[in-house]
Amino acid sequence: MTRRFRPTPYLFLVPALALIGVFVVYPILAVVYYSFTDYDIVRPPVWVGLDNFRQILGDETFWLALTHSFIYLIATPILIGLSIGLAIVVNRKLRGIHIFRALYFVPAVSGSIAIGLSWRYLFDRNGFINSLLQSFGIIHEPIQWLATPALVLPIAILLTIWAGVGYYSVIFLAGLQNIPEELYDAARIDGCNDLQKHWHVSLPGLRPQIVFVSVISSLAALKVFDEIYVLTNKTGGILDSGVTMVFYLWRQAFQLHHAGYAAAIAIVLLAITLVFSMVNVRLLERQDADR
Amino acid sequence: MNGRRGGTTAHADGSVAAAGVLEPVATLTGAALRRRRRRRQLASNAAWYVVLTAFAAITVFPFLWMLLTSLKGPADPITSVPPQFIPGHATLANYQKVLDSLPILKFFQNSIVVSIAVTGLNVLVSAMAAYPLAKMRFRGREAIFYLLLATLIVPAQLTYIPSFILAVNFFHYYDSLPAVILPSLASAFNIFLMRQAFRGVPNDLIDAARVDGAGEWRVWWQILLPIVRPSLAAVAIFTFVTSWNDFLWPSLMLHSRDGMTLPVGLAALQGLFSSDFRSIAAGVTMTVIPILLFFIVVQRHFVRGLAGAVKG
Repeated sequence: MTRRFRPTPYLFLVPALALIGVFVVYPILAVVYYSFTDYDIVRPPVWVGLDNFRQILGDETFWLALTHSFIYLIATPILIGLSIGLAIVVNRKLRGIHIFRALYFVPAVSGSIAIGLSWRYLFDRNGFINSLLQSFGIIHEPIQWLATPALVLPIAILLTIWAGVGYYSVIFLAGLQNIPEELYDAARIDGCNDLQKHWHVSLPGLRPQIVFVSVISSLAALKVFDEIYVLTNKTGGILDSGVTMVFYLWRQAFQLHHAGYAAAIAIVLLAITLVFSMVNVRLLERQDADR
Repeated sequence: MNGRRGGTTAHADGSVAAAGVLEPVATLTGAALRRRRRRRQLASNAAWYVVLTAFAAITVFPFLWMLLTSLKGPADPITSVPPQFIPGHATLANYQKVLDSLPILKFFQNSIVVSIAVTGLNVLVSAMAAYPLAKMRFRGREAIFYLLLATLIVPAQLTYIPSFILAVNFFHYYDSLPAVILPSLASAFNIFLMRQAFRGVPNDLIDAARVDGAGEWRVWWQILLPIVRPSLAAVAIFTFVTSWNDFLWPSLMLHSRDGMTLPVGLAALQGLFSSDFRSIAAGVTMTVIPILLFFIVVQRHFVRGLAGAVKG
């Protein structure tokens, strides 16, 4: 290969790098700058040093939002468990299995706003869930599901899990289909029953997928917004019971026009995601080392 | 598994019974045991179908309930004990009402324009960037690769404040469709997927083309892209659905009634008809059905692409 400079590789990269520069790299640098300013988007930013970060420390709603975002992470292990289970079920060769696989995928393609709205009305005071529970005599008075602070977040998490299981199970299904059949035969010869077979063969075989899904689903959990927006009709719920990090960021920036303060919140969120990703990378490396 | 073990036992019994007797009886017991095995198989399959159906019911029910509610007439109760499933006075009036008060068809048109533009251009830009990253050696490749990797980690929502200001002060495209299209064109994720696809193409093939005098652009366009067409399709479908359902950024950018995409319009519908279940349900049904039809058509590619995203 010649030593002389060839422009071609760079020409291929220019459009993508320009776009990423303008819409990802520049905004990150700008957000760092705004986080040290008092800024309402209309007037020019005013440098205030660490004031925004000091304010965050004493901001109860921020800590509530942070707590909620961490609570949301509970969705990840549940999603993984259910998705693997579903993948094992739909991996059987049964007539019409393709139809079932497609059905499970429906929430994933319908869009968060549409599914959020349908849930919002299922859990309404006059919604289906109350009707159903009353018909079976489980409750006698309708429950104000989404107006009960303790229930908003669990319902949102349930919605995320419900919408995600079909999607993630496709990833696990692909993983299962890559596991050599001989491993299952060997397990059978060793006297494993169905459940032991999956425990000893399927789970270890699915490790790359488990790592992948736990990374993307936990990052998704940390930045949940749409579900909260729709379920609480953009209020964040009574007593901010459904406010998550990104929802709070959105409210501060685009409802209250505290862009500087919102930028500081963004920096904290960025720091958390970075730590998370680093932990994930560690796990990946350890996994590679184990092999 | 259990079925098989049962089968072996039955076979053993059969041979004992058939000992000393001639051929035809043996085949008869063979048929009987096959029938028995099939019956057991059938029972086990039925159990699986129950599980599958129960799961499907949970998955699909909210949509079904929306559809049924959207067809309810004024005399049909929204809430009752027990719940009314099939509308007694079915009507399409709710759909008419939604169409009269919101330009749903315009939302569709906007969503189609945005999703097609984003998909076409994003796939093109990503496939271009992926080629040198996969198949060329040049200074700065590692640096660019890790820069892209880093942008993958950053939640998009963090960039919305500066992007908003850019849209208003610099690009002057606030409240227009380019404001939604342009920022969605760069995707490190798609670049990685395409890079992975290109890496699977044998180097010999590319070298042969180069020896024959093909330039890098021709190698990319005439050799690589046709080979990775399945990955290309998967990435395109994935991008299309994501763009179609994107909400937060479009909701920040699009405010005019005629300029909204479907998810933004759907959220506006909630504000407009907040206590009118039937109309909300009609709006949700109208927006979900087209994307579902699209998904059914392209399902195979989509699922394959999703699966291909994670290689073991």
